[in-house]
Amino acid sequence: MLSNYSQPLEFTKLLGWLDTTLKANMPEVWANLIEFVIVAVAFLTAYAVIALILIYAERKITAFFQARFGPNRVGKYGIFQSVADMIKILLKEIIHINNVDKFLFYAAPFFMIVASMLTFGAIPFGKMLHAVDFNIGVLYVTAVSSLGIIGVLLAGWSSNNKYSMIGAMRSGAQFVSYELSAGFALMTIVVLTGTMSFSEMIAKQEFCWNIFNGHISSIVAFVIYLISGHAETNRGPFDLPEAESELTAGYHTEYSGLQFGFFYLAEYLNMFIIASIATTVFLGGWMPIQIHGLDIFNQFMWYIPSYVWFFGKTAVLIFLSLWVRWSFPRLRIDQLLNLEWKYLLPINLVNILVMVILVLSGLTLTDLFPSLF
Amino acid sequence: MENIKKVILNTVPEAVIEDKKILTVTVEPNKLHQLAKALRDNTALPFDMLVKLIGMDWGEKLGVIYLLASSTDLSKEIVLKTGTADRENPLLYTVTDLFETAHFNEREVYALLGIRFINNPDMRKFFLNSDWVGYPLRKDYDANPELNKLSLESKDIIDIAPRIMEVDGKLVEETVNIFAEDDYIINIGPQHPSTHGVMHFRTSLDGEIVRKIDVHSGYIHRGIEKLSENLTYPQILHFTDRLDYLSANINRHALCMCVEKAAEIEVPERAQYIRTIMDELNRIDSHLLAWACQTNDLGATTAFIYGMREREIILHIFEKTCGGRLIINQNVIGGVMFDIYADFQKDVKSFIPYMREKLVEYDRFFSHNVIALGRMVGIGVMSKEDAISYAVTGPAGRGSGWSCDIRKHQPYSMYSKVDFKEVIRTEGDSYARYMNRLDEIEESLHIIEQLIDNIPEGEVLAKTKAIIKLPEGEYFQRIEACRGEFGVYIESRGDKTPYRMKFRSPSMALVSAMPLICKNEKISDFIGIGGSMDYVIPDIDR
Amino acid sequence: MESILKYFKGLFTGIKSLLFGMSVTWKELWTKKVTQQYPENRDTLVISDRFRCELTMPHDDNNEHACTACGICQMNCPNGTISVLSKMIETEDGKKKKILDTYTWDLGMCTFCNLCVITCPSDAIKFNNQFENAVFTRSKLVQTLNHEGSKLRDKKKDVKPAETNA
Repeated sequence: MLSNYSQPLEFTKLLGWLDTTLKANMPEVWANLIEFVIVAVAFLTAYAVIALILIYAERKITAFFQARFGPNRVGKYGIFQSVADMIKILLKEIIHINNVDKFLFYAAPFFMIVASMLTFGAIPFGKMLHAVDFNIGVLYVTAVSSLGIIGVLLAGWSSNNKYSMIGAMRSGAQFVSYELSAGFALMTIVVLTGTMSFSEMIAKQEFCWNIFNGHISSIVAFVIYLISGHAETNRGPFDLPEAESELTAGYHTEYSGLQFGFFYLAEYLNMFIIASIATTVFLGGWMPIQIHGLDIFNQFMWYIPSYVWFFGKTAVLIFLSLWVRWSFPRLRIDQLLNLEWKYLLPINLVNILVMVILVLSGLTLTDLFPSLF
Repeated sequence: MENIKKVILNTVPEAVIEDKKILTVTVEPNKLHQLAKALRDNTALPFDMLVKLIGMDWGEKLGVIYLLASSTDLSKEIVLKTGTADRENPLLYTVTDLFETAHFNEREVYALLGIRFINNPDMRKFFLNSDWVGYPLRKDYDANPELNKLSLESKDIIDIAPRIMEVDGKLVEETVNIFAEDDYIINIGPQHPSTHGVMHFRTSLDGEIVRKIDVHSGYIHRGIEKLSENLTYPQILHFTDRLDYLSANINRHALCMCVEKAAEIEVPERAQYIRTIMDELNRIDSHLLAWACQTNDLGATTAFIYGMREREIILHIFEKTCGGRLIINQNVIGGVMFDIYADFQKDVKSFIPYMREKLVEYDRFFSHNVIALGRMVGIGVMSKEDAISYAVTGPAGRGSGWSCDIRKHQPYSMYSKVDFKEVIRTEGDSYARYMNRLDEIEESLHIIEQLIDNIPEGEVLAKTKAIIKLPEGEYFQRIEACRGEFGVYIESRGDKTPYRMKFRSPSMALVSAMPLICKNEKISDFIGIGGSMDYVIPDIDR
Repeated sequence: MESILKYFKGLFTGIKSLLFGMSVTWKELWTKKVTQQYPENRDTLVISDRFRCELTMPHDDNNEHACTACGICQMNCPNGTISVLSKMIETEDGKKKKILDTYTWDLGMCTFCNLCVITCPSDAIKFNNQFENAVFTRSKLVQTLNHEGSKLRDKKKDVKPAETNA
């Protein structure tokens, strides 16, 4: 059903052709190996490029919120600013600090990068643009994304700095708490769709996004996921671990050069990952807007390739996150925990129950109006 | 005041009372504490605010001048003096147990004049290192740089305080540890994003909770009071702008008024109008910056930039009026340096509605934000008694329910002729201080509105002698600066330079209250409270 | 019951206040930015007349200035920024006269208090608007204000209107 429409700009044909040519010309093992390498290179590049674009976008949008222009010197409108920054950070001296736990100190940034990379790999970017399609995709993403906290804790502990230590401890408390909410919010949708695989979830959202399908319950889950996801990325107003007005730079106070760059990169990628998971789970992922029965409209929508849909939806969510970040003051640690344990978690538990009732009693939109979807 | 004289003579019969402009009482050191206590506890008119504590080297004697005022009526003042002829080991009695604000001031006097105070719980030098040779404010101070060489070596901070206590009538020299042995101490400052300058708080933490704060100051001590002793009065003026640079114009106004009063110079009315308008613009400027910095301390970077944007308009008006933005050099002895420019009124009048609009926006944006409320309401509570004891004035003092606006109590310039409200809140928390500032901006706008259209024509500068000499005597001047009461004390011996110059800094009182109100608050709130107190470091260090 | 009500009331007023905050930033997103684009705006940049940048000694077309080398500015300067060196010469009618040799002013020490300008009896010096005075070495901050070969303007023949700043 999905492929009924003409999709001129998709990568499906190109990828299929690549696969068949490779496999026709060499043994399957080699073909697979080459494919793995291509995928890996593509992901690493995408990782860096997305981070650079995000950094630029954030600086620019932040500036507009703050009555400023933002970067506007390197290139027209400053578009090469983050490239220049990247080059600078690559060339910058890494300051070696005495009295740190050397092994852990140098290992910590890699934990951050690896955790975000692992999650990044499981995200469906478009039709066929999906590296690994686990049947337990949601579970996998929640599991590996929480590895990042180890990096933060190690950084804080090994830096031998009191500010870093306080930052890392805050981060620990924060991460463990908000992981719960994020997980529960995703579980609500798992209850709704009955699957944990991202590709199946997207297929089920062809005509009715999950956020609409479960109406009240889905919307609540969506909001909670955004809040807790935002908190998991350690960004304002939840940026307590690196609260610059209190702890100078929190857990990464002692890092410099490329090591700091890793933390920086991981922070932006985490923001992207949270937004893209929300897109996939709640907003139909890469699926274009489709209306049951309106074939011309649907065909028109398919002319816009799926990856554009995916990045477009993600960009909206990222903008929302920036908007929130630059509007509010920072929470205090007890306010932060209050929000989670007194508001988000109880609401979440009730919400998941409501969702079960909705699904069992056939009150989701697809059940109520089967002819429309 | 006759009753006060009776009280004084009842307590200390041998006290020497002089009926000057301000009642001046001289007593022996051992009687001073008794007298100060009697005056503080005098129920009819309690002199419970220590406005200034001035260390003096009279030549034959070393001593201290106390300017006391009544917290119920700040215009009621009394001066106490005491001194000792012992220059080797001068000892006086502390009044820290009566007025908490004396604590830092006495430490300052120790550093600069070498007078130690018996029973002061912590007699470390303030501003100067413990190994500084000589006492700079003494007249026989040897300023030879060889004595105090610049050292590039880092020194450990020693948390041990010497003190002299009186036990059973005997003086005992002892030391006391500031922190317990296993305290988790973190240095907030001297280089820290939120200390608003080079301030150093040694903070003992219990997890996230602040248990004790030890204030180290003096990183930007420039010895302005000492420098002033060699400069003429017009020359000293340029230092006042550099004390609390955010209320530069108001500080300068204070010194000008003090000299004008002493030299009996009549300031033209037009100059008075301009001074008042500029003072109020300066106040708005300062409060905007305070607002912006406080929001930034609480993590709202965007609000910070909005505050700076509005402030820029005022700075631009300053720039056009007198060629300076921060250090504006507007007041001079006898009037103002520059008359207003042609479009001054137009610019100011267009600013007023704009600022009002922005105040509404600030309210929507931050004042009712649920996170901000959680960070400010009920945090850093200072009672009225504490505010008086620590002599915390300005928006912070008024946030604790203490009417301490000098503009109301001792009106100067045009303040007696304009109608404005003294903004008082009784909660005493960060939020009260925060809201007080925003409301004071509104009041300042109101004051400017009343004056801006009525500026009389005429001269802006009175004719003064080429060399201004003040007649022999002591001159006090108090004024309401942006952060509280700013004061000037001049002792003149008839020369063109002062014999002793003392500035009362409102920020020092604010910072001295920090250890009290931050105790048992979270570390994030410690930063937030600092923002709500809004101290300026160069004002403390002078 | 009351506590439950309080819980939900707190939740909703909290959300409302947050939305208010977001509405303010949303509005600001679209307002005109106030940042000045220096140095692009150099041509249109207006520096207020009274802004004090560099001390200058105005010379007229005949390379004459008004400084009588009385040294009042030097005396009044709180920081010793100004030093006036004078020399004695013999005029045509045989009288001895003190004239200006070099007038040095140190930008690095100056606090721009304007005392020198307001106390100058012959209005010989004034501050200009040349605000771009960053240099690479401190020695360049020390400037000699009187031009090479300049001399004192004869008061009688030249009654120039006093420069007013208003």
